[in-house]
Amino acid sequence: MSDKSNIPEITDSDCLAAMDHLYAYLNGELKDKEKHALVEHHLGHCKSCFSRAEMERQINSRLKASGVKEMPETLQKRLRGILDKF
Amino acid sequence: MPDITLIKDFFSRGIEENMHSLYAIALRLTRNAADAEDLVADCVIKAWSAIQSLEDKSRFRPWMFRILHNCFISNYRKKSVRPTELTYCEECGDDADDDIASLLIEQPNEFLCWWANPERELTNQLLGEDISVAIDALPEVFRITVSLISVEGLSYDEAAEVLEVSPGTIRSRMNRGRTLLQKALWQHAKDAGLIKDVAMMECKSYE
Repeated sequence: MSDKSNIPEITDSDCLAAMDHLYAYLNGELKDKEKHALVEHHLGHCKSCFSRAEMERQINSRLKASGVKEMPETLQKRLRGILDKF
Repeated sequence: MPDITLIKDFFSRGIEENMHSLYAIALRLTRNAADAEDLVADCVIKAWSAIQSLEDKSRFRPWMFRILHNCFISNYRKKSVRPTELTYCEECGDDADDDIASLLIEQPNEFLCWWANPERELTNQLLGEDISVAIDALPEVFRITVSLISVEGLSYDEAAEVLEVSPGTIRSRMNRGRTLLQKALWQHAKDAGLIKDVAMMECKSYE
């Protein structure tokens, strides 16, 4: 159990509760309807958390784009060579 | 007994469709292009030898990632290049009950002030390379979890299958991994002079 009293008073407990589920929410993995509604409601009322969620969405897009690696042709040929031998 | 030609066609098609993703994840794991190529090749050979163990063909993608990850652990982890990694407490970093509050306790006040007053436009100013460097600086368990979910689009259940942990652990690793990623991006932006003092000023008003 974490001691939340050590956190500077910059974020209230509603924000922390919403943030606990933010990544699951943004990834479409928050299946509990009650928690899903809680996060949506909080994001609709808290400017700071809404900004954080928007930033996380942007980072998600950037992360997806970062995954498109140009695969070396040598490796493609190597893999096709391996597959041909099976 | 299924026709071996059909199995081979299925396997070859699966590799063709997923080879870029396998290479991208191998690169994230090894952080070395030559090792990443060898890892993918080893993984394909190993996967073919184990193809009969794949019971559900729809799980081919997570099954391949699991073999890739296991190959990495067995043969490559010890020699993988280790750039400066962010601090990670093994004992406190992989608990399914881990919440954001416990993660924030470990962070410096200056970061917390920014965290509470984020500047959305900051992300636009960061280059793709900055984000790539930030991911590479994450400890391995978070690097692979964030890469599988946020980059390759696996579900939490699929990532749990790949890494052979519970979905709750994946959720915890995502919370911690993405918080550490935020911190790395914040540090980078701060060093580059992209962070305004607004966050600190707004933060002081809470005191």
